[in-house]
Order: sequence, then C-alpha cells, then structure tokens
Amino acid sequence: MESLKEYFRTDWAAMTLPDWIGLIVTVGIFFLMIWAYVFVFNPKNKEKLESQRHLPFEDESDDDTIETEKRK
Amino acid sequence: MATTPVEKYNFDVVRWFTIMAVVYLVVGTLVGVYVASELAWPFLNFNMAELSFGRLRPLHTNAVIFAFGGCTLMATAFYSVQRTCGVRLWSDKMAWFTFWGWNIIIVAAVITLPLGLTGGKEYAELEWPLDILIAVVWLAYSINFVMTVAKRKTSHIYVSNWFFMGMMVMITYLHVVNSLAIPVSMWKSYSVFSGVQDAMIQWWWGHNAVGFYLTAGFLGIMYYFVPKQANRPVFSYRLSVIHFWALMFGYVWLGAHHLQYTALPDWTGSLGAAVSLAMIIPSWGGAINGMMTLSGAWDKLRDDYILRFLIMSLAFYAMSTFEGPVMSSKTVNALSHYTDWTVGHVHSGALGWVAMVAAGALYHMVEKLWDTKMYSAKLVNLHFWLATIGAVVYITAMWVSGIMQGLMWRDYDEFGTLTYTFAESVAAMHPYYAMRAIGGMIYWTGGAIMLYNVVMTIRQAVGQRSASVATANA
Repeated sequence: MESLKEYFRTDWAAMTLPDWIGLIVTVGIFFLMIWAYVFVFNPKNKEKLESQRHLPFEDESDDDTIETEKRK
Repeated sequence: MATTPVEKYNFDVVRWFTIMAVVYLVVGTLVGVYVASELAWPFLNFNMAELSFGRLRPLHTNAVIFAFGGCTLMATAFYSVQRTCGVRLWSDKMAWFTFWGWNIIIVAAVITLPLGLTGGKEYAELEWPLDILIAVVWLAYSINFVMTVAKRKTSHIYVSNWFFMGMMVMITYLHVVNSLAIPVSMWKSYSVFSGVQDAMIQWWWGHNAVGFYLTAGFLGIMYYFVPKQANRPVFSYRLSVIHFWALMFGYVWLGAHHLQYTALPDWTGSLGAAVSLAMIIPSWGGAINGMMTLSGAWDKLRDDYILRFLIMSLAFYAMSTFEGPVMSSKTVNALSHYTDWTVGHVHSGALGWVAMVAAGALYHMVEKLWDTKMYSAKLVNLHFWLATIGAVVYITAMWVSGIMQGLMWRDYDEFGTLTYTFAESVAAMHPYYAMRAIGGMIYWTGGAIMLYNVVMTIRQAVGQRSASVATANA
C-alpha cells in the first residue's frame, strides 16, 4: 500500500501551466467519455439513435446520376 | 440557348479522384515491390542514388498513403457527404482546386523524393514549400466538406461524416505542427524541434497519421459503403457513436509507444502502451459492428465480390488493431522494435485493411458513378483473391523474418558475447525478403487487374451511353 502511494505521489507545486491544462483536459475528457457511454447505452435513447441507421438509404435513388437541371 | 445537363450532385470530381486512386494504387505498390526487391537483390540499385532504397522508400510510402489513400479519401468523402446530406458540394471550384492541388503535390513528390530533397521526417518527408501546399489543399478539402454538411437537408449528421470530419480536424493540426520548420533554402529546411522533443512530435504525427488518416478516414468509408453494398443498415448505430468518440479521444495518446526504451521519459511509453491496449475495445467494437451488418445475410458474400473486399478488410482491421497494442507493450516491444515485424504489422493494416476497404468502396462507386455493372465480376473476384493471398504472404514473411531478427540480435553466449553478428542476421533475412517481394508482386497484380477492369467498365459505360444517345436521336 505504501509503495502504491509512492507510485501515485505527485509534486503539485511543480506543476506548470501546460501540466495543469493537460490534466484538466484529460480528466474532463474522461468524464465526457463516461457521459457518452451512459447516454448512448441508456435504453431511453435507443430508438432515437438507432433510427439514424437508415439515413444512407433515404436519399439515394438509382436515377441520382441522371437527375438534371438546366443551366444557362 | 444552349443548355447543359447538370447532375444533382457534383460527381465529376468524384469520378476523377476515383480513377486517380486506382492509378496510384498500381503505381504506389509497384514502387513498393521494387524497393522490396532491392532489399532481396541489391543489384537492383544499379548504383544510382535516385534508385536507391533510401530515396524510393519514401516515394513508395507517399504514393500509397497520400496519392492512393488521399485520392480514395477525397473521392469517398465527396461522394458520401453529398449522398447522406442530400445536397451538392458547397463549392465546385474548391473541389476542383482540391483535385488539381493534390495531384500537383503528388507529381512534386515523384520529382523531389528521388532527387533526395527531403525534410527527413517519416511519413512527412516532403520539403517546406510542399508542406505549405498540402496544408492549403487539405484545408480546401476540409472546408468544402464541412460546409456541405452545414447546408445539409437532413437533420442528423450520419456517422461516416463524423469520422471524415474527425480526420480532417486532426490531420490539419498534426500536419501543421509536425511540419514546423526553418527554411534555409528553397528545398531545404530544418525542423523547429530537436532531440527527444523531435522524436515525440514525429511519432505523435506518425501514429496519428495511422490513427486518423488511415483509420478514422477509412472507417468513415466503412460506415457508409458496407451498409450500402450489403443493402442493409449498419448493425448498431449506438456502437458506431461510441466507436467514434473513443477513437477520437484515445488515439492521440498512442504515439509514445513507438519510442519505448529511448530517451523519452519511461512513463510516456507506458502510458502510450496502456492506452493502446485500451483501444482494442473500440476498434473491435467497430470491426464487429461492420461485420455484423451482414448478420442474417452472410450468403451475400457468396456472389458479391465487392462486399468480400469490405468484410475481409474488417477482419484485417480487427487483426492489426489487436497486434499493434500487443507490440506496444514493453515486453513484446523489446523483441519486435526495429525488426521486420513492425513492417509486417504496418502492411497488415495497409494491405489488408486500408487498401481492401478502399478497393471495395472504389468498385462500389465505379458502378454507381458510371451507372453500370463492372466489366468483369470474375476479375473482381480474382483481384480479391490476389489481394488476400498477396497480403498474407507478405505479412507471414515479415512475421517470421522479424521474430527471427529480434531473437538473433539479442541472443548471447555464456560469456555475454552476442551470438550473431549483424551481417549474419541480414543474410538470414534473404529468403523472407524474397518471399515478401513475391507477396507484394501478387498484391500488385491484383491492383493492375483492378485498373484494367475499371478502365474497361468506364469504356463500356461510355459506349452504352453513346449508343443510347444515338438511338434517341435517330
């Protein structure tokens, strides 16, 4: 336990501005990822998200390539 | 008043990117086969500096990554963004600027790299004027894509577009930061970074070029073209969302695993390896998501050869995203680093994942863009088998060669003396280098067949159109 404490020991006074920015961004993203997992796998959001699966099939029709408009 | 038929979407630029992608596949892999042959049979240098391995190797990597990979990404992104957003590209002029600009860069690479004009950064060898041009053209490509998404008719932005945009944002700042240099002449510059910082920036770029350009971008391709070719929606949209965000936030940490046992602080490499191992989860989630799209319709693989490319690419994607993290761990890295195993790993991703998902998408687009079927389905099938066998022969040769290299280099006798000289390890590599060149040749043959098939398909489509116009006018 003592060695584990030593392993995670941090000299907070030696932290520079880039260190703090990196720490805050990293920890912030960590919590954002947790939020993303909870949001995506919440059964309430299943229908809303899965309905987007069909989007690539909504537009395309075989005559896309021949659909024309007049240009002067 | 003369009228010109105008497509609902701008597919002209997509057609040209598609054709050039197939041409560069053949050219880039041909240079690869040549440099692989030089390692097996060094007389192929012909004592010419311009033909030496050191100068042609970056030409090969630039040709396959930026020429073939770039044209594929630009073709597929411009194609799918219009389809999924229901609108024409935001700017036709910008799209054509992207096409010509990108191709000028490729021609400049073909001239400058054999002449030895290089910044010396791996996967970013081009000198500073071309680096600036890359940034400008890449921004034109990205802005055009993002603005097309912005004016979409759909309320939702489909997941493939998220992957493309993630790639565009990340590659922009990775390229700019990695290429920061002080020019001392028109064709010579020195990086602003030095020592271990230079190494760290190099591999921050190097691994993220793999992660965002060759993975995120090509996953954008996968998420659009696998469902389209299979004619089934993606297995799980929720999984694709998690795949995207985990990839975006995870990949940027990995670069340091290229620098195990160097002057880089030890914890940096450990962190890179730890996150690499964690990345197996979203990577496999994505691969399974793509493959399970065929759930209940596996029979399609029996006669849809284009779909075979797409699904086989996912098998290679799963394999190489497992192999990479294993190689990044310090224990395995102590054996694998600096050996041919790394070359084999890169090519299982490049030949197996990137080039095969690209081939599937390009075949799909050729049929759609020219409104026809492939000239020969049998040749598509032949290409598939040549690509699969060629990749397996290449990778296997490099696995055996690399592991043998690592074992020979670190073997020592009871007195602590190295058992083998370096030259002995080089001599032991020869059969595997010959086998690798043969594997590459098999793969190249598949690419050449694809080019022939694509050219014949386009000729067939143009012929059919001319005939129908003549009939209508008669």
